[in-house]
Amino acid sequence: MAAADVRDMLDLPAEGQPRPLKKQKVTEKRPEGITRELFALLGERAPPIAINENRYKGRPKWMSKLRVRPWRMAPFENGARSDGLVLRHWQRQNEPAKPALEGSEMDVDGTKDEKDTSEAVEKDYMFAKYNVRARVPNRYTDEEYNRHLKSDDWTRQETDYLMDLVEEYDLRWVVVADRYDYQPHPVDAETNTSALVPAKRFRTMEQMKARYYFIAASMLALEHPPSEMSEAEFDLHEKMMKFDPERERSRKELAALQLNRTADEVREESILLEELKRITANEQEFITERRELYSRLEVPISVGNTTMYQSSQGLSQLLQTLLQADKSKKRRSILGPESAAAAPSPAGQTPASNAPGSARDSRADTPNTSAPATTTPASAAPTNKKAAAAAAAAAAAATKEAEKTVKTLTTAEEAKYGVQHHERLAPGVQFRSDRAQKLTQAKSNVQTQKLAAALAELAVPLRLTMPTERVCKEFEKLIHSVNLLLDARKVAEKVESEIRVLEAAKEERERRTKEAQEKTTPSTTTATTSSTKPEVKSELHEEDQPLISAEAAAEAATAPDPNGPSTAAPSAVATEGADAAEKPASASAGPAASAEGQEGTSHKRSASVLSNSSDKSNKRQRK
Amino acid sequence: MNPSIPPSTAEYGGDEVSAIVLDPGYSTTRAGFAGEDTPKSLIPTYYGKYTYDGQEKLIFGDDVFVTPRPGLSIHNPMGRDGIVEDWDMAEKVWEYSFTSRLTGPKPGNPLQNGLNDTADSELPTEMEGVETEEKPLADSPLLMSEPGWNPTKAREKTIEIAMEKWGTPAFYLARNGVLAAFAAGKASALVIDIGASNLSITPVHDGMILKRGVQHSPLGGEYISSQLRALFKANTPQPISITPHYLISSKVAVDAGQPAQAKYRTFPPEKGPDPSYRTLLEERTLCEFKECVVQVWPGPNKLSATGPNGVLNEDLAKASPGRPFEFPDGYNQVFGVDRYRVVESLFDAKAAIPDSESAFSPPTQVQTVPELIKNALNGVDVDVRPHLLANVVVTGASSLLYGFTDRLNQELMQMYPGPRVRISAPGNTAERKFGSWIGGSILASLGTFHQLWISKKEFEEHGPNIVEKRCK
Repeated sequence: MAAADVRDMLDLPAEGQPRPLKKQKVTEKRPEGITRELFALLGERAPPIAINENRYKGRPKWMSKLRVRPWRMAPFENGARSDGLVLRHWQRQNEPAKPALEGSEMDVDGTKDEKDTSEAVEKDYMFAKYNVRARVPNRYTDEEYNRHLKSDDWTRQETDYLMDLVEEYDLRWVVVADRYDYQPHPVDAETNTSALVPAKRFRTMEQMKARYYFIAASMLALEHPPSEMSEAEFDLHEKMMKFDPERERSRKELAALQLNRTADEVREESILLEELKRITANEQEFITERRELYSRLEVPISVGNTTMYQSSQGLSQLLQTLLQADKSKKRRSILGPESAAAAPSPAGQTPASNAPGSARDSRADTPNTSAPATTTPASAAPTNKKAAAAAAAAAAAATKEAEKTVKTLTTAEEAKYGVQHHERLAPGVQFRSDRAQKLTQAKSNVQTQKLAAALAELAVPLRLTMPTERVCKEFEKLIHSVNLLLDARKVAEKVESEIRVLEAAKEERERRTKEAQEKTTPSTTTATTSSTKPEVKSELHEEDQPLISAEAAAEAATAPDPNGPSTAAPSAVATEGADAAEKPASASAGPAASAEGQEGTSHKRSASVLSNSSDKSNKRQRK
Repeated sequence: MNPSIPPSTAEYGGDEVSAIVLDPGYSTTRAGFAGEDTPKSLIPTYYGKYTYDGQEKLIFGDDVFVTPRPGLSIHNPMGRDGIVEDWDMAEKVWEYSFTSRLTGPKPGNPLQNGLNDTADSELPTEMEGVETEEKPLADSPLLMSEPGWNPTKAREKTIEIAMEKWGTPAFYLARNGVLAAFAAGKASALVIDIGASNLSITPVHDGMILKRGVQHSPLGGEYISSQLRALFKANTPQPISITPHYLISSKVAVDAGQPAQAKYRTFPPEKGPDPSYRTLLEERTLCEFKECVVQVWPGPNKLSATGPNGVLNEDLAKASPGRPFEFPDGYNQVFGVDRYRVVESLFDAKAAIPDSESAFSPPTQVQTVPELIKNALNGVDVDVRPHLLANVVVTGASSLLYGFTDRLNQELMQMYPGPRVRISAPGNTAERKFGSWIGGSILASLGTFHQLWISKKEFEEHGPNIVEKRCK
């Protein structure tokens, strides 16, 4: 029974693939070694029997095209040996290079080649190139030894022995020290029987190294004086000259200690290492956390429009939406029994006892202002009012109690601990530095730039490096005075421009009167000029005075004011000064305008500018 | 990769010159062609000697075990410390090791080899002259191994035999330890070799032994056999006597611990073999016992000490199931904690089973494995010690004792808790048994090695002392 039948019976869906296609595939796949009938008996799913035929596979086709290249036992000689030992190894016979055209010739060539390869011993052995030896310094001559290399500790013979050994073992110091077995020369011992023959002594590796390096460095220096050495040579020379056997010895002692530690010491070290790892990991974590915090702090301050919340209506609306959000949030969470009870009941029926709880809850996600905001009349719903009142009462009681228990601090202590009292706290978290930052942002861009320039002139950074309470206060004052100064300067500029305009007008007038005089009688011209001149002069005189006073006021304002409380005074002065400046200006503008009216409309624009700047005082004058 | 194309020589640095590697040991002698992975010829170093028709005859190879000929005595040319004692016989045994399987007599010139000639011509006398000229190793370089403490005299004698008697064109003598390190693929290693007669520690640095660090003690396979004999003597239900197979004509299965019921073969005194023959065959039985039953207490701590849980190790060992063994005469018994005791003295000299009749004097603590290792390491420079500890190579057939490497590891970790200890012990028994031979096979088939051979010319120029200069 096939699987398909079972599927049919059980009402199972058919397999993903359409049936007929699969069958075709199966029939196509019938392996070679099996007959069609037998294969048909196997059905849809062939049993897991590997049907493989043992058949000679033969060589791949490409191989039959290859030429057979025989191997032969060939003698070879190793270039690294000096004795010409001939050994034999199997080697592939080289093919004759050119494919010969004529059979006879090829035969001859082939035999010749074969002979050549078999007879001739290979000259360049492949592995001879690995025969490398360590570079050892040149050997000293007797003279050189006597002049430069003599040592009290080492005889010439022993030095020779050491150098031989070092060369023999290719500077493998471990082996050299192991094999070092110097016997003082027997001849010496016989000749100097009376003299003290030093007993055979044990040389440490450090002693050997020190001697060898000394000799090697000296020989290097003899070969090339240090001034002519190449950089590598000089480095080597330096290194060898600086070898310190004593330090090496102590290092080895330490190494031996390290090797022979007890299990306890090893355990302790591993514990300490673990601890260190933990500490460094903690530190890393701390650093990443702090970085994250900083990156959060640097998020730009949201500058949404807040005007809609400034009216009481807007505020109440905000409160409503916040409460709605709060409620919906509560409804969603069905965890706490308190919240579950609060959710279905309308806001009006919330029991008063619940209020502090809800207030606390809401405080988490709604701004703190919700409680104070409800106290504003006409905005809050009656229920909220009640709740808020209850909350306020509770809070007051709490604070009273707290006041009773908490001991009062003196002002000095308050300063010390940084205790501050706020009339009203702004909602949410805010930073002192942000507040200071805000001060530097004026309404207009130009003004902001000017502020920044002024601060730069005073060498005060735009962003406070250490925004403590006191620094912020001082900064606030400073910004305020700078603002005043800028205002005063603005006014001064304005007045200056007025003066310029008026002077221009005066010149024009003079020119005209001159022309008029030329036209009419010269006698009248003098009269008019005399009459106009003093007027202008008086104007100038009057204008100068307030300007100076304004400047003085500005100066007073900009002057750093350590005494704090006197901020109001200069500003008052400044405003007065500004007023004073305006008044005379308008006063002078009045006659000027009348004069203009007489002379024509060419200067109307400047006049209007003037009148705009001080239309209030103008009106007063007219009255 | 196409198998029909050989790897280019540069790829593996091999260049085979049909060199023969000969690794003589106390118990067996291994010989084979360099480049192969196991020795083709493995013969016991023991040889048999008997007289027949008034002529002294010698038996080499595995044949020594087969027939208990009358008066057959067994000898060994090697001393217990691994140094050759009887050079004449050593030469013959070694020669047999490679001529029997590897080289063989060369086919002579068909005109002269006598096969095509009529029976009574005078040619055979000439042919004899030809044959004597023919040396067994005339066209194969020979690499031999030696223990690290081989004296100069023995080395010189070896090269003399190879050059003069065997006529090898090139010769080299390498240290056991170095070769074992090469077999493990290391140029620097601390080689722990436990053979039949010796336990040796060889520090190897850059392919050269550090002579001051070489340590050896007689605690090898033979020593364990002597411990086994002592154990059998003191066995509790009844002392066990080992009867080799050749003395049993038939046996009946008996229950564990019951006396054996077997029919024994007896030899009349003048027809029986020498007692040394019996000893050799007893040794074979003991070898089987070592392979099947004996186990090294894996640690931690000694067998006599308490384990980390506060339980006596001995109690733990008792709790583990025993192992049965049937002797050739049918006697069988389950061996419990005793199977740990026989080898415990390799690590703890106090645990040795006392036996007054043993050929071995009771071991001292200095002869045990941990002490030997400590001494070996103290003999070498401190800078290479951690490196050696990280490359501990275990080799030798006796190191195949069950649990040996575990215990060794434990001991090393206890002795040197600081540095990293890493033991390299091949799991393949052939690689462990023939470690130094395999190393020699690798070495002699390397292309770069061929410059190190001592050629015949050099030998003739400098004399046998050249071996001291060249084989460092």
